[in-house]
Amino acid sequence: MAMEGDVGAGLVAIGAGLAVGLAGIGSGMAEKDIGAAAVGAITEDMSLFGKALMFTVLPETIVIFGLVISILCIFVM
Amino acid sequence: MFSRSGRTGNYAYTVSRVKAKKGLLLKDEDYNKMLQMAVPEVSRYISESGYQKEMSELAGRIEGIDLVEHATYANMAKVFSSILQASQGELHTMVAAYLEKWDIWNLKVILRGKSYGLSVDEVREDLVPAGSLKSEDLEKLMGIENVDDILANYSKMVHVQIPQDVMNAYKANGNLGEIEDYLDKFHWTRLLKSINPSSRPTRMFQDYVRMEIDVINLETILKLKAEGIYGEQVMKYIIPGGKDITPKVATQLANAETFAAASSDLQQLEFYDIIKDIVESDNVTVREVVTEMKKYEIAEANKFSHMYPLSVCPILDYMIHKEIEVGNIRTIARGIESGLNTETIKGLLVI
Repeated sequence: MAMEGDVGAGLVAIGAGLAVGLAGIGSGMAEKDIGAAAVGAITEDMSLFGKALMFTVLPETIVIFGLVISILCIFVM
Repeated sequence: MFSRSGRTGNYAYTVSRVKAKKGLLLKDEDYNKMLQMAVPEVSRYISESGYQKEMSELAGRIEGIDLVEHATYANMAKVFSSILQASQGELHTMVAAYLEKWDIWNLKVILRGKSYGLSVDEVREDLVPAGSLKSEDLEKLMGIENVDDILANYSKMVHVQIPQDVMNAYKANGNLGEIEDYLDKFHWTRLLKSINPSSRPTRMFQDYVRMEIDVINLETILKLKAEGIYGEQVMKYIIPGGKDITPKVATQLANAETFAAASSDLQQLEFYDIIKDIVESDNVTVREVVTEMKKYEIAEANKFSHMYPLSVCPILDYMIHKEIEVGNIRTIARGIESGLNTETIKGLLVI
């Protein structure tokens, strides 16, 4: 019985890790081109810094979704 | 997937820089304003439109129309060099191959300057270091007195081998034309080879380059025809690789003795509708045909620039627009200086 509980808890932990990890990889891939474009725009016009920063961090919201899922996994399931 | 930025090119970075630069280009209304100005006013106007640094740097040494011409070329060279330096991977290869025409331009200026006995300072004024060759490389070439040594050094710098028969032809008659024609043909051939047509944007780039070759070939054919030269003599100046003007069409066009006789052959071309009215009028001028073709080129560039944002297309589009802007400013300044009326100058602009 104890073995079954350990496996279940382990799978939940793996699921929680994957939720954050995959969301992180996804947003990293999205940010790669946005970040490059933002730096390019700032190189030409420094006044675009604020807007460029906003667009660069926009995909970070996906990681927050992943984090919420992982928290739900750990504390609710 | 992860090697995309490094190997195939940093499109996001370069395109966003180019898009920011494109916002600074002159608009149609700017040209209309400039047409009403005198040359000093044109100088001041372009100083306020992105050419300030170059105008200030050169203002102490030159003035008037020369200042406008040199400043616009200096600015274009700076902008193109910055794009070349910013690009990486496959994108860098394509941009460098496209800008190689300025290396050839600079070599021609140096060779011509040397053969006419101009000083290094006079030659330097006309250089446009927008290609792969940096100012230091050009200084090195300018420091060499002998044409053979200049060509040998240039060949090493840009990895081009000038055939012995071309060199022999130059040595026999002292005419640089043979070498210049060879380098031009070599540039277009190498540019076409540098484009890998594996994706839709690169295929569009390749098509555009082939269309540019068509325009150059058509210009050559019409210019020579206006001088009464036709047949085989024309064919040796034709650049291979054109889209519509294949060797067969080029031969037909070259063999026609007059514009009227060439008309039926011209109808085979995709862009015939653009030049139809001019070609069919009684008073055909090559300049008018070329201006219309340039307008067609810019319209084509506009079309594909928005289709693939992360590709070579917006970069090519910007370089075409920048080159045309510089050409337009110079046309306006020269036109005003020569006392041409506004409508005539406007007709010469590519807007």
